[in-house]
Amino acid sequence: MRQVNLTSKDITENPSAATELTDREWAPCRYNCPVHADVRLYLEHIAQGRWRESIDTIRRHLPFAGVCGRVCHHPCEANCRRKDVDSAVAIRELKRFVAELQGASGATVHRAARQDKARVAIVGGGPAGMSGSLELAKLGYRPTVFERSPRAGGIPATAIPEYRLPRGVIQIDVDWICAHGVDLVTGTAIGRDKSVDQLRKEGFQAVLIATGLSSGKDIPIPGAPPDGVLGALEFLTDLGMGRRPRIGQDVLVIGGGNVAVDAARSAVRIGAGRVRMMCLETREEMPAFEWEQREAEEEGISFIHRRGPAEAITANGRMAGIKARRVTRVFDENKRFDPQYDDSDLIEAACDTLIIAIGQSPDYGFLNGSALRLDARGRLEYGPATCQTNVPDVFACGEIVTPPGSVVEACASGQRAARAMDMYLSGGHIVLDDSLPPFIGQIPTATAEKVRKVIRQPVAAQPPEVRRANSQEVDHTYVESAALREARRCMSCGAGAEVLVDKCAACLTCLRVCPFDIPVVTDVARIDSDRCQSCGICIAECPANAIVSRSLEAGWIARRTAAALEALRGAGPRIVVYLCGHTASAAQWRGEEQSSDGTAEVCLPSLSALSALDLLKAFENGADTVLVVTPQDSVERYPQAVKRLRKRLAQARKMLKEIGLKRTRIQLFELTRPSRTAVRETIAAAADQLRAGPIKPIGATR
Amino acid sequence: MIVGERKPMDEILAMLEPHRRVLVLGCGGCVTVCLSGGEKQADELASQLRLAARKKGRQLTVDVDCITRQCDREFVANLKCNPSDYDAVLSIACGAGVGFMSELYPQTPFLPGLNTTFYGACTANGIWQEYCYGCGDCVLAWTGGICPIARCSKGLINGACGGTNKGKCEVSSEMDCAWHLIYERLEAAGRLDELRKIRPPRDWRLDRSGGLRRLVHEELVDEEARK
Amino acid sequence: MTQAASKLQAALQAGKFVVTGEIGPPKGTNVEPCLHEAEKYLKGAVVAVNVTDLQTAVMRVGSMVISRLLLERGMEPVFQMVCRDRNRLALQSDLLSAHVLGIRNVLALTGDHVALGDHRQAKCVFDLDSVGLLAAMSNLESGHDMGVDVKGNPNALDGAPRFFKGCCVTPCAEDLDMQIIKLEKKAAAGAQFVQTQAVYDPAAFEKFMNRIAHLKVPVLVGIVLLKSAGMAKYMNASVPGVTVPEPLIQRLTDASKDDREKVSVEICGELIRSMKHLCQGAHLMTLGWDHCVPDIIQAAGLA
Repeated sequence: MRQVNLTSKDITENPSAATELTDREWAPCRYNCPVHADVRLYLEHIAQGRWRESIDTIRRHLPFAGVCGRVCHHPCEANCRRKDVDSAVAIRELKRFVAELQGASGATVHRAARQDKARVAIVGGGPAGMSGSLELAKLGYRPTVFERSPRAGGIPATAIPEYRLPRGVIQIDVDWICAHGVDLVTGTAIGRDKSVDQLRKEGFQAVLIATGLSSGKDIPIPGAPPDGVLGALEFLTDLGMGRRPRIGQDVLVIGGGNVAVDAARSAVRIGAGRVRMMCLETREEMPAFEWEQREAEEEGISFIHRRGPAEAITANGRMAGIKARRVTRVFDENKRFDPQYDDSDLIEAACDTLIIAIGQSPDYGFLNGSALRLDARGRLEYGPATCQTNVPDVFACGEIVTPPGSVVEACASGQRAARAMDMYLSGGHIVLDDSLPPFIGQIPTATAEKVRKVIRQPVAAQPPEVRRANSQEVDHTYVESAALREARRCMSCGAGAEVLVDKCAACLTCLRVCPFDIPVVTDVARIDSDRCQSCGICIAECPANAIVSRSLEAGWIARRTAAALEALRGAGPRIVVYLCGHTASAAQWRGEEQSSDGTAEVCLPSLSALSALDLLKAFENGADTVLVVTPQDSVERYPQAVKRLRKRLAQARKMLKEIGLKRTRIQLFELTRPSRTAVRETIAAAADQLRAGPIKPIGATR
Repeated sequence: MIVGERKPMDEILAMLEPHRRVLVLGCGGCVTVCLSGGEKQADELASQLRLAARKKGRQLTVDVDCITRQCDREFVANLKCNPSDYDAVLSIACGAGVGFMSELYPQTPFLPGLNTTFYGACTANGIWQEYCYGCGDCVLAWTGGICPIARCSKGLINGACGGTNKGKCEVSSEMDCAWHLIYERLEAAGRLDELRKIRPPRDWRLDRSGGLRRLVHEELVDEEARK
Repeated sequence: MTQAASKLQAALQAGKFVVTGEIGPPKGTNVEPCLHEAEKYLKGAVVAVNVTDLQTAVMRVGSMVISRLLLERGMEPVFQMVCRDRNRLALQSDLLSAHVLGIRNVLALTGDHVALGDHRQAKCVFDLDSVGLLAAMSNLESGHDMGVDVKGNPNALDGAPRFFKGCCVTPCAEDLDMQIIKLEKKAAAGAQFVQTQAVYDPAAFEKFMNRIAHLKVPVLVGIVLLKSAGMAKYMNASVPGVTVPEPLIQRLTDASKDDREKVSVEICGELIRSMKHLCQGAHLMTLGWDHCVPDIIQAAGLA
């Protein structure tokens, strides 16, 4: 935990001083995300049913929200601190849920006010190039993307099969990017139809090469008839374009990566009788995602490990199989790829179709008509510090210059290059700051033990026998209730309580009320951001108003209440209802303030944040009665929260009584089964009773 | 630590009756620690006052402010609200704070929102108990740390009276007999000889009876200011 | 042996088993009834009569005045003084005044807390405690008061008083060790006789008397007349260090309304008989049933 030493003076000078702390110390999900999306924030939006805010937050950093919602390798989940409690939050699934829900029109487009800086050309419409172009558009440039194929999207569009990533999803992401003022020119190959030098003549002041790895690597299979061997990328692209590549009944895929698995599973879907994969690696060494391997196995694909093809076996001039030699090792001492074989150990593997999926390589066609050079290793000359090639106004990003990576890594690369180009075009030196803020550390066991366990929402998948037969998406997305439930498992790491050290009187109240035993009090209280669960209890109880939330600005409950009351129409008693927005089964609830049935409803992430003062303020803001609806303690997210809520209500009632107002103006409902129906019925019944009985407004006039 | 308790509301409302613009002033010292007079409590009290005024159809403006302590003049520099702008200030500091601030702002009535009750310690969550009387002549050395002046209802110094009943005081069965506690403590420590000594009557000059008390640390006194 | 300051002291010095009584002043100026009772039943029957000082913190006429009036009617008072209501100036002054008025026997008590009485808002003084009051008395007897003159020397008195100084103890207290330590201090401070709280258990009393044998002060065992079973039960429940054994309560319960007084007297007499040999006297607290005193003395075999 970093010592922050926030003071009330900091807040006075900058009301966002506390909430900005979430930018100065990142949750590990954000830290490990290549584009550093504000994961915590968008999960909190989802948890409250704020769909648009959520997708907007995602897209702020991640243009390819839809694509990544399906295929991202989710380093966020791998580092999610919840895994040390029960299991990681299903961040990718939630991203998919909200991207799908909001669809084409549900995300806000923030076009730059002016796009009158230079025109820039981007070569390649894949994730890297498109992300770079979006960044440049937002910075005020006019980007034009040149894509040689009929559609933008890159590898996702060409090589990732439909059953993993429907084409429509990619198009939504691409369209959203273009809506920011990005010109997309398809069917144009730079180096063939135009050259880099020509682009310069046409008035483009900088060029970004983002052509990626668009060709499949090839290996010679001695004796193989040409119609028996396919390249995996070619195979998948044909499928993706709606063309039907010709394969046999007995397919053998050479390769151990995701592309190999994609090819194998696609072969199953177009009717191959038997599909096997052969790779150099063992099961554990295979670079393909673990879940891809598993789903492939479920679909009937088997693996041959530690074998490499030596030569083909033919029968009547047609492909009948291959001889494969044993692999003694794949990586050398320095973990570099350097396979060693034992040629004396050969097996025969039957097949009538061989699909080669041993990796991708770049297409250097764009070099034509440019001064660009390759280096000694045959790769584009490139300086990572500035993203420039040997030609100062030509930049590069993505897999053309980085190691092979995922979609999100490509986005990050494109964004970085765009920033470099902006510096260059602004006439300055290119100095890229790659430094990152520190991240919240591992959750200590003592705290993890106290967190209420909630199982991860499973993703429903089509059964293997069904999905073998079609190209529909394998995984179903979450239904709304499951998405809400899953998003509410997020522990809001780093977004919890922060002490204002100049106001803290070391009274020990926070230490005494914290259900997780987190505050440490020496000269002042310190709340360890590695531990804080963001329940808000200490904030509500602190007598010195010395604790603020890193995620919610002070006074937010009062403001939301005032807004809800403002929207209230009708003549009856003005009823405010505080609901727990994070209850499991009340999951069908949307988080917006609703004013229906004559009640001003305010949905809070947790009722543990509701203080006695908040209840008084509700009356000050015009409420005649306040209802609080909570699930029972056994379901509540934070231990003892309901007990504490009862005490606060008792305190508030006492304060009302002192000034001659009836205690009954505050009512608490603890529901055993907090379903939407139960909540609605409870509120309706209470409201009816209040309308019938004599609750007078406080004071003669408003 | 000084402990105080919010005055009954009807007493506060009666005090504020003649005033229309009131500042509720909290204190970040002892009264925050016992949750009687901190900024949060000032917010709550202000809210109650506004609601009470509204209920009666009275005109009343209530603002809130809080400073680190009301017993040191330098902290008034941090006031965001100027006491002079108000008809009255309802201070929820201890009596020392109310009195001291009253001297700094002689033109503005400083009204006490708390009853200052005792010097005490927190014995359990939410519970504070009297431990010290401020008698000026501490005898804890020979009573095993248990104060007979603060905790014996009669302030006796030579042992329990005849009213001690099963370790409880004759005033209330909920109060421990301090001398019973002292006896047990000294007995456990093998120091009953302290109890056998006749303690002469107290010198009440060191107590409040001697008049207003002062503490002077000469090394910090500004000679020029004194003159 | 020094000359006795009072008849009580003389009787104790002579080794007689003495009996003292007790009256409580009225709440108001109508002192005649209580004086009349004393004269009628106590005069001649007991050696001296205790006059309570605002007992249980209920405001009444002062014990000094009633003590003086007893003297005028030929009875010897024991002037009870509590520390609750007066500071050391007033206490010393009242001691001098009492001496001037002829009062000699003084019983120094701490005094009940105002919370027990009818003026619960009053301030408790307790400038001195019972030990301090005894020391103050001894000091006055030596011709000084507690103050100092301009040179810092103790003030010298123009005429020193003389007292027979008494104190109180609870022989059957739960915390007996603590009581005994304090009694030792009272004796060291000048206590010359002891009147105890009510005792109904001769065996316990014997144990107590053995424990304080080293103090060599005469002890008058206190007995409160048990007017009814209800009263006995109340004392068990509410009065610290006083326990009425079950058999005695039963006897009171079994007694018919007419016989109750008789049984009370009998019990009282028996108790005195059983403890006579352990102490130097008995202090009877009859709580208004002063007319029983002669019968009690009779029943105790002391007549």
